[in-house]
Amino acid sequence: MIALGKPPPDWRRWTIAITGVNAKPDNPGPGLAVARCLRESLGFTGRLIGLGYEVLDPGLYHSGIFDAGYLIPYPSGGSEGQLERLMEISQAEGIDVMIPCLDAELSTFAHNEAALTAAGIRMLAPRQEQLRARSKDNLGELCRRLGIETPETQKVSDPGFFDRCRDEGWSYPLVVKGIYYDAVIADTPDDAKAAFHRIAAQWGYPVLVQQFVGGYEINLTALGDGAGQMLGPVMMRKRALTDKGKAWAGISIEDAQLEEMGRAIMAGTNWRGPLEVEALRGDDGKLYLIEVNPRFPAWIYLSHGVGCNLPQALLRLISGDAPANLPRPRPGTLFIRYAEELIVSLEQFQAIMVEGVVTAPRNKNRVA
Amino acid sequence: MSVDLHDILSGLIAKDRLPALAISANGFAFDPRSGQSFTVNHTGIAAVELLLSSHSIEATVEELAREYDVPHDVVLGAVEVFIRQLARYLT
Repeated sequence: MIALGKPPPDWRRWTIAITGVNAKPDNPGPGLAVARCLRESLGFTGRLIGLGYEVLDPGLYHSGIFDAGYLIPYPSGGSEGQLERLMEISQAEGIDVMIPCLDAELSTFAHNEAALTAAGIRMLAPRQEQLRARSKDNLGELCRRLGIETPETQKVSDPGFFDRCRDEGWSYPLVVKGIYYDAVIADTPDDAKAAFHRIAAQWGYPVLVQQFVGGYEINLTALGDGAGQMLGPVMMRKRALTDKGKAWAGISIEDAQLEEMGRAIMAGTNWRGPLEVEALRGDDGKLYLIEVNPRFPAWIYLSHGVGCNLPQALLRLISGDAPANLPRPRPGTLFIRYAEELIVSLEQFQAIMVEGVVTAPRNKNRVA
Repeated sequence: MSVDLHDILSGLIAKDRLPALAISANGFAFDPRSGQSFTVNHTGIAAVELLLSSHSIEATVEELAREYDVPHDVVLGAVEVFIRQLARYLT
């Protein structure tokens, strides 16, 4: 059981700041889904603050879910800029808990955690060593240590690799991946080189190449208590994909081997906070670990749908009121993602553009 | 009957793949491990129930032949195809 920072008041009345409130339909961030889980969780009457990096991040304006939206600087600007802005926002809002939801910002948040805790902003998120252990370029080593199958992966910095890789034992198709995001199945050296250049330009180096394994993808999300125990899990199989390979629809499942894989990762890393395991049930029947994402997934609203609300459990874990066991999610519950338009007044848009903050009008229709 | 058909059925039962299959009265089947769903007709439902209760292909064929008044060989062929199809869905 974990209690961080000041003696916690009732988590139901906390003010929670959530990042990742971008939501392009083909690849939404997890922030809006995390916020919906909290907004709809029984008894929660606290405030939700959306933190966005772009003025068109819809979570900044979604008054049905968030009480206020703030722009924050990109993590590439450095940890000091992030910390300064968060302190500024906390001065105005009194943030109790921070839930970072994007891969690329987690290292900066880990760097700032001590300062945030000292300022009364609690967080249960992976530390630097855990982020490093699950990073795509270290995943093979983690899997070897934990006895988990994973497709062969290698760093690539020279696109000429894709012309000579057959001589080194690789075969097409293979998967070209960015260090943070993106993965392309390449059938030929030309496809692979094109993917390499695009991914390197967008996400930087190293670019990774991974052995292609035929099968279907299954995912797990859960919480780590920082002492090796896993809370959850909720498991899902994608039923329909966007062009970017993200879940458009999915169904809850129960896979004992995937659950065991999740427990092994939690125990082997003393994982802190949310996590998503992406695995592949190969045509050979084996289960392969593809990625470990150090945050809630964009499909986390399914956890609320199956009665195992993990964002709520995260707050309880931080408050020291963690449930010993969460309900077992029922397999066979579907989600189908859809896009909708949010109407934003010129005043709201101007407030974000000029002041970097927009406050939602009190929503009388809100349940909590 | 080929030996490997018995192995397929034993594997589906031993690995809890067939027992875990959820089938509703209208034939909607859901595999909780893979998330796959498919439909089976009422004869298929009866076949799954018999396979699960008897763990025997022979007993299942005998019972179906008697129940539906169909020649033994015809039922045997259909059950063989059905088990192989189940195995593909439940991989």
